[in-house]
Amino acid sequence: MTADSPSRQTTPQALPKWLEPFFLLMPAGLWLLLLLVLPTLLIFELSFVPGIRPGQVVNPSGLDNYFRILHPDYLPVLWRSLFFSVSTTFLTLVLGFPVAYWIALKIPKQWQNFVLLSFVLPLWTSSLLRSYAWITILRPTGVLNTALSLVKIPPLDILNREPAVLIGMTYSLLPYMVLILYAALEKLDRRLLEAASDLGATPSQAFWQVTVPQSLTGIAAGALLVFITSMGDFVNPELLGGASSMTVARLVYNQFLGVTQNWGFGSALSMILTLVVSIAIALLLKYGDRSAASGV
Amino acid sequence: MAWFSLLMFGFMYLPIAVLAFYSFNDSRYSTGWKGFTWKWYQLFLSDSRILTALANSLLVAGFAVAIAAVIGTLMAVGLARYRFPGKQLYQSVAYLPLIVPDISIAVATLVFLAAVAIPFSGGLVQLGLGTIIAAHVVFCLSYIAIVVSTRINALDPHLEEAALDLGATPFQAFIQVLLPELMPAIVSGCLLAFVLSLDDFLISSFTTGGGVKTLPIEIFGRIRTGVKPDINALSVILITVTGFLFALAEYLRYRTEQKRQKRFQN
Amino acid sequence: MPPRRFSSAAISRRRFLQTSAAIAAGLASPGCGWTLAEVRPADAKGDQDKLGIYTWESYIDPELIQTFRTQTALDVAYDIYDSNEVMMATIRSGKGTNYSVVYPSDYAVAEMIGKKELLRLDKSRINGLENLMPEFQNSAFDPNNAYSVPVSWGTTGLIYNADELKIDITDWSDLWNLKQQLTRRMTMLADMREVMGATLKSLGYSYNSDNPAEIQQAYDKLTELKPALATFTTDAWQNQLIAGDYLLCMAFSMDAVSVMQENPDLNLRYVIPKSGTSLWNDTMAILSTAPNLDAAYEWINYMLQPAIAVDITKRLFFATPNQSAYDQLPNPLRNNQSLFPPEAILKPCERLTNLEPKIAELYDRYWTRLTSK
Repeated sequence: MTADSPSRQTTPQALPKWLEPFFLLMPAGLWLLLLLVLPTLLIFELSFVPGIRPGQVVNPSGLDNYFRILHPDYLPVLWRSLFFSVSTTFLTLVLGFPVAYWIALKIPKQWQNFVLLSFVLPLWTSSLLRSYAWITILRPTGVLNTALSLVKIPPLDILNREPAVLIGMTYSLLPYMVLILYAALEKLDRRLLEAASDLGATPSQAFWQVTVPQSLTGIAAGALLVFITSMGDFVNPELLGGASSMTVARLVYNQFLGVTQNWGFGSALSMILTLVVSIAIALLLKYGDRSAASGV
Repeated sequence: MAWFSLLMFGFMYLPIAVLAFYSFNDSRYSTGWKGFTWKWYQLFLSDSRILTALANSLLVAGFAVAIAAVIGTLMAVGLARYRFPGKQLYQSVAYLPLIVPDISIAVATLVFLAAVAIPFSGGLVQLGLGTIIAAHVVFCLSYIAIVVSTRINALDPHLEEAALDLGATPFQAFIQVLLPELMPAIVSGCLLAFVLSLDDFLISSFTTGGGVKTLPIEIFGRIRTGVKPDINALSVILITVTGFLFALAEYLRYRTEQKRQKRFQN
Repeated sequence: MPPRRFSSAAISRRRFLQTSAAIAAGLASPGCGWTLAEVRPADAKGDQDKLGIYTWESYIDPELIQTFRTQTALDVAYDIYDSNEVMMATIRSGKGTNYSVVYPSDYAVAEMIGKKELLRLDKSRINGLENLMPEFQNSAFDPNNAYSVPVSWGTTGLIYNADELKIDITDWSDLWNLKQQLTRRMTMLADMREVMGATLKSLGYSYNSDNPAEIQQAYDKLTELKPALATFTTDAWQNQLIAGDYLLCMAFSMDAVSVMQENPDLNLRYVIPKSGTSLWNDTMAILSTAPNLDAAYEWINYMLQPAIAVDITKRLFFATPNQSAYDQLPNPLRNNQSLFPPEAILKPCERLTNLEPKIAELYDRYWTRLTSK
């Protein structure tokens, strides 16, 4: 019967309304549920089983694995990881800010993207290979010491110690910091700086009282990213740290893929790592709220 | 400030330069220059273990990104368009891999495979290439989804409505209107995810089995047992290829932007 | 460009943690009693043309595989481990389903037999066992070679650069004496039994000590030494020793001999410590979960051929237990004291024995503590 006025929808509304979102969200949701949510819950449970290894029955029994991190043999590992992360965050900030500032504010607009990307290009090569290159540079008879010997400076003993790990980590994470700081500095309103200098501020005052506060969100974001990534970094401490630079990530690796095979302790460590990361994020949010409230 | 920045540039490229230098150096151990040679490149090209590992890495990255591109884009569209109970939870789970350190994800996935997938599938599921791909899809999903969702939020929502008004089915509207608009974001997300998957060491190490090695695993093994300089040749090749691909991607993006500008102007 | 890793996801994350904690608490209570990743026996559905081998770095090279392929048309895919503990851990965590042949050392064989991880060999499928030297026909850890076939033997010692290091190294205690001079220029093996054993020997105890007090002393002594060590490594020291980064390394005899033979211009010396060291055997064995039994037997027979044994001893420099191979070796190799030490030097050496579980756990705990610091 064609008595009806022509309607917009020529197809009959036979499909239920929830079908489209379901179809869109179900595949990814299922994948995430199976390979992310369920695994996380599993290690949560496993972390309560002391000394479990493959082939054994799981019987959650207590917080032994968590208390183990407080043992004097393992607590320094946690402190060392925190030390590396905080130091790396600080170093990348100090080294990266000038670079980001230079690109965002001193380079002509049309070249900014190019310069930024060429700074970041090494990121697209294998991180393992770059860390391996640092071994070649920092070895007792490596590039650095050979160069130093040419100018009569005595050789430095860097490899297989903490400084080497810091160098490696800073190197790996500097591009990320620069990218994030650039994004924040690029949005900086130059007129504020002009106004500041018109009002008689020295460049240093303008920097600390205008530029830095304005880019605080960028600084916080970059610091958080670097902190989190460096807490979970395995390659740099493993390749550059030698026998005496155990970090949490290496410890976790050893529990599962090394000789120790203590999956319970490894799970607990993994949860502790996630906890530390969550605390960092929570702190950022608190601080972020405060700075937004008191914002310029 | 300019001097300092140039110094930092030097710092960034120092390891690359070192790798390149030693890939041409005719010496296995010494630091000094002992003559130019192509032999490490020849050695690398005849090294079947590394080539297999490289092939595995490319396979894993290819499959993982392909799967993640599809379900990740769908997910991003779904999250942008609809509200539903538990959306906050869904979103936080979806973006979890961006926040949580790799090693936690790697550990969780291994435990899941060892505890659930392998026993319940009666041994059908084994640690190997498939499990690596499955694990990689998880983080590729998140990266692609976040890149695509940034783009969706910047889109004109009326375009799709207009298409529906003109009589298109929702499916047609999706394919012919939304998808082309999202394509640059999808491609850029895929590129990002591809590179991250190629470079991943921890998640691959934990989920591999049966002697399957990806490139980072093979390289790590070699560093542990004594490196031959063909690794340097490999790194130079990788850098030039990724640099080239990246330049290509940037160029293509630049061209599409140009075309777009022209279209708007006309 | 890598995107910023967080957004509103961060805020929702806390809620996720809260909700998941609640879910997990609910799940965790009744969710016990399941088993973690048992390794199931394979259904022999593996690729019949391929053989998976899990072995030490020093026992395999492309040429060996190539000759095997010419003889049998079988392809070999191999993986490397650097200590028995790593090998056993890999097998037990379910990642060894691809391997048919494995190379456990003496005490590892005993442990794996006890855990039913090795296949009882069908002697009728093996030829060449009579080629083995008389002392290798039977062993304490595997009576009558029921599960394993000896493939190599050797000692553990110290290798050093005699030109750079003007002192003569003679014993384990030299590592401690040179602590100050050689900070981070020394390495030890990444092998729990070897390192603990060497330290025990330097204290005058047995390599296989099962006395908790003695083991504790060894641990304390190692803690003293550790800051001076560059790293624990079984294979990676070779390149660095040649390059001059490391000056004194703990090494297995075959690796030491191999390095010395390949670098005749460097004045490298291998020393078997005076107070004694470990005298080890490495063997070939078939895993009980082996996917390709036929290929595994082929490999064992291949390795027992005198011609092959001579060849690899000349190329890879490990001491062969194969009598007819030994007879065919060129004189310089036969008389190589590092490779085939005379009786007098071997006297204070001990064979590694299997530790009983409680003691093994003690070693394990100390080793973990040592390497985790």
